[in-house]
Amino acid sequence: MPILDGDTTKAAPRNGRGFPRARLILRPHKSLTPEGFVWFIGLTAALISVPLLSILGNPIFWALLPFILAAVWAIWAALKRSWRDMDVYEEVLIWDDLMRLERHEPRRPLRDWEANPYWVRVAMHQKGAPVPNYLTLQGGAREVELGAFLTPPERVVLKDRLERELRPAP
Amino acid sequence: MADAAIQQPEHDRPGFFTRWFMSTNHKDIGILYLFTAGVVGLISVIFTVYMRMELMEPGVQYMCTEGARLTAAAAGECTPDGHLWNVMITGHGVLMMFFVVIPALFGGFGNYFMPLMIGAPDMAFPRLNNLSYWLYVAGTALAFCAVFIDGGAGPGWTFYPPLSWQDAPTSRAVDFAIFAIHVSGASSILGSINIITTFLNMRAPGMTLHKVPLFAWSIFVTAWLLLLSLPVLAGAITMLLTDRNFGTTFFDVAGGGDPVLFQHIFWFFGHPEVYIVILPAFGVISHVVATFSRKPIFGYLPMVYALVAIGGLGFVVWAHHMYTVGMTLTQQAYFMVATMVIAVPTGIKIFSWVATMWQGSITFETPMLFAIGFIFLFTLGGVTGIMLSQAGIDRAYHDTYFVVAHFHYVMSLGAVFGIFAAIYYWFAKMSGRQYPEWAGKLHFWLFFIGANLTFFPQHFLGRQGMPRRYIDYPDAFALWNYVSSIGAFISFASFLFFIGVVFYALRFGRKVEEKAYWGEHADTLEWTLPNPPPEHTFETLPTREEWDRSPGH
Repeated sequence: MPILDGDTTKAAPRNGRGFPRARLILRPHKSLTPEGFVWFIGLTAALISVPLLSILGNPIFWALLPFILAAVWAIWAALKRSWRDMDVYEEVLIWDDLMRLERHEPRRPLRDWEANPYWVRVAMHQKGAPVPNYLTLQGGAREVELGAFLTPPERVVLKDRLERELRPAP
Repeated sequence: MADAAIQQPEHDRPGFFTRWFMSTNHKDIGILYLFTAGVVGLISVIFTVYMRMELMEPGVQYMCTEGARLTAAAAGECTPDGHLWNVMITGHGVLMMFFVVIPALFGGFGNYFMPLMIGAPDMAFPRLNNLSYWLYVAGTALAFCAVFIDGGAGPGWTFYPPLSWQDAPTSRAVDFAIFAIHVSGASSILGSINIITTFLNMRAPGMTLHKVPLFAWSIFVTAWLLLLSLPVLAGAITMLLTDRNFGTTFFDVAGGGDPVLFQHIFWFFGHPEVYIVILPAFGVISHVVATFSRKPIFGYLPMVYALVAIGGLGFVVWAHHMYTVGMTLTQQAYFMVATMVIAVPTGIKIFSWVATMWQGSITFETPMLFAIGFIFLFTLGGVTGIMLSQAGIDRAYHDTYFVVAHFHYVMSLGAVFGIFAAIYYWFAKMSGRQYPEWAGKLHFWLFFIGANLTFFPQHFLGRQGMPRRYIDYPDAFALWNYVSSIGAFISFASFLFFIGVVFYALRFGRKVEEKAYWGEHADTLEWTLPNPPPEHTFETLPTREEWDRSPGH
């Protein structure tokens, strides 16, 4: 699920506020599961080794082995790299008097945004927006987008979630 | 996080050079692959026409040691130049296998439509994609060097030693051919890693492996086969290269090597290779048949697992290409049975295509004609395949024209009919303009008649005992060789006509505005896009309603 409830006790307490009241983690969709990775690499390694059986005990075995290892390594590295490229995630942290948004991207410095939840508005734009159901947060020093990598229906869900977390029933 | 950008500035369209030479866009690279494969295909077909001219009549009229001729009327003595013949068959085989069919189906249509079908914005590694394409171009250049340098390479596309290193002291041509395969192999491995990663990790949310369109599946299985088999081939030809140039004796009996081992390793690659050539066509045909029968494809899951099974079985049947090298009876029995088992998943596919057409409201537009032509030709070639899989019968047919007819029916006619079906099916999607329907139909009928006239008589020649790979033959084989050559000329004419149709349609074709112009059963994600699709597609993930036609499953 691309919108995860983070464990609030794992979030770093900030400015003596203690643990946040809510913690949401947004991740882009990755269709390859860790189990799928294991299956794919396992099957690939097994099938590509078949010709080695016919040349066991022959010097050709050692000439062929590097090519086979290189191929398995290459697809391994490519799948891992693809996961890492998608390792972007956004974290929403809400305390009673502070809302914090952090965007973690591989190979880029962390970007963050803070505001007082009392003033925060969650806005959904339709017209002229770069993506359908474009979601932004207003009320801080500048207006920021979030969840750009989610699907449009997921952004609707996210908006409802955020509004509930921002205005808890008394 | 990015600051909110409600009004995004449009960024500039790239110029011609940037767009086509430095492209990282999967659609542009797909187009590049298609055109390059078309040019190489034309040259490779010209080789065959020259060969069929030579074989048209007994005796040697064209390929003379005194100089290759284009007209039989040319005066003077003609000493047969067998080496030129060998160079032609090697060039035709290497070019068609590595530089025409794989780049067209896998590189071209795979690049263009696989990401669209799974709703991915581009390939997982766009720059790697560009590298794959240019390595392919470089490999093609090396392959042409192999034809023209030092008298040309003539060991056949299989490069069996010792034939492939006999000319090592005098000629560099075979080395160029080996480098060509190295470079194109590197290109294909990088391409397949890219496609596998894209397919596995960039499918739209909700699109499980059991919901991916069949063409995307076929491209994935093809990529997987390439990844599994090409490293083995690279190893084999590297050893061949060191045998030729550095005095190693991997395959030289004089130094304790074993030439038959080369054949084993080669065919461990070579047999999956023939599935690499044909599987993407399977994917295309599934979509075309469903679209023009106006029914969803029959038996989607069996179709998927048949693809996977064909791919998997392809790795354990290689020695049926070499029954005559002296294997034990047990080995031959195993490879015979394993080979026949492949008929089961293949039969599932053919059954499912026919069942898709059953009680559908079929119309015979050009892509459908090519699809039905494909099913007919592929089935015919498959039947002779079952005959050849019998180790005993293979003793008689080995290295005869029967084998030539068999593999041209399954591979070349199968793959090429698949390519043409795909071109006509997606032409307006890729270009925005439609070809004239009558021209497509004329092309089909010319090509279908020509191709059958070329290859069907070769069954008779094979049964009469005419061996492959010879420049000349006794008078007894004259009749069917003459017919076969006439067929080749008709096919060649149809190909030239097709090239004309493409350029006419690109310039003057009717503009197509409708997105799914083949009707509602063309229902994969590329049909939700305009013709041609914009530069960037699916920058936001497509929703499930756009692609899921049977959400109950």
